[in-house]
Amino acid sequence: MPAPAPAASIVVISYEMARVLPRTLLSLSPGYQRDCPPGTIEVILVDNGSRIPPRAEDFAALGLDLTVVHWPAGDVSPIAALNHGLSLARAPLVCAWIDGARLASPGLVSASLRAARLHPRPVIASPNYHLGPAHQYISIHQGYGEAEEDRLLASIDWPDQGYRLYDISTPVWKSGETDRMLETNALFLTRQMWDELGGYDARFTSSGGGAGNCDVFIRACEAPGAQLIRLRGEATFHQIHGGTTSNAPNFAIDVAKDISREYYRLRRRPLIGVKDPGWIFDAGPNGRGKL
Amino acid sequence: MNETTTIEAAALRDWLVAYVGAVLDLDVETISTAAPFDSYGFDSVEAVIMAGVLEEEFSIRIDPTMVFDDPSIDGVVAALRTAGLVR
Repeated sequence: MPAPAPAASIVVISYEMARVLPRTLLSLSPGYQRDCPPGTIEVILVDNGSRIPPRAEDFAALGLDLTVVHWPAGDVSPIAALNHGLSLARAPLVCAWIDGARLASPGLVSASLRAARLHPRPVIASPNYHLGPAHQYISIHQGYGEAEEDRLLASIDWPDQGYRLYDISTPVWKSGETDRMLETNALFLTRQMWDELGGYDARFTSSGGGAGNCDVFIRACEAPGAQLIRLRGEATFHQIHGGTTSNAPNFAIDVAKDISREYYRLRRRPLIGVKDPGWIFDAGPNGRGKL
Repeated sequence: MNETTTIEAAALRDWLVAYVGAVLDLDVETISTAAPFDSYGFDSVEAVIMAGVLEEEFSIRIDPTMVFDDPSIDGVVAALRTAGLVR
């Protein structure tokens, strides 16, 4: 008999993330996620061509329903790898986690599952943070690095004190409750909606996927009958790893401009965050667990 | 910078006003071209995104940091004039 389908599938993309990926997967594991016992979710890790790719057995102790897929090297964009991971997902609710360097807060998964029950076509988004005292493309020029990040995480007793991630992090622009939201690293949609959207647009071929993550979020929000639900009190937190847009040394502005160009070239409209405030789902350790 | 064309200053100013108005859902009549972008809620991220759209729309290449030197519509027009992209 086939195993019962999980409630949610989470597709995580990695590339040369030997340092940060173990923490990310730990943050999705049953021992860390609240109200998310084993079997609730499956994690599909698609490694986008790392020289030493991660192996499922390296993470066996986490108790995850984990599938590791090795995508061929050579594609600077994670979009093709991500779409492949989405095609493997078995659950009715599927999350795209485009950056495997991002930690989850402890209630992110259960809050997303509960929020998904509130609407037949939910678009569930959580805000993005950078670990450290400033946006990492700034802080890395001010002495922030791996050692300091390790020290910060130890200082809050992470992972035991998962919600204290907020104490050592900086919110990313355009991800607050009232902002015109541009993207989310943990985008939960129904299987049906992913199929309707055709996944990510494979034409976003620039490094890091360019505006592909923004694009799929915007298209999801604009889909007929869709309902944006923003999580309050749950988030993802970016670890430093030399990624294209989050850490790009000296090039953050140029990267943002090029992302804008690519989006405009493909969509013939400016890259503007979603203006609809949507619903706010009050989650987090003190949240009411409802709208 | 890679100059490929020149733009009429008035046309560029009108385009910038329309762009900012569309992004912020503002009546273009209320947008002061001399006022700093942040005075009406147009932030630095949106300014950089606008720089990318400008490049695509007008087939030019620009230094995106110019939008920070004098962050206003008139400032952008002046910076592009200095760069030889506006006449």
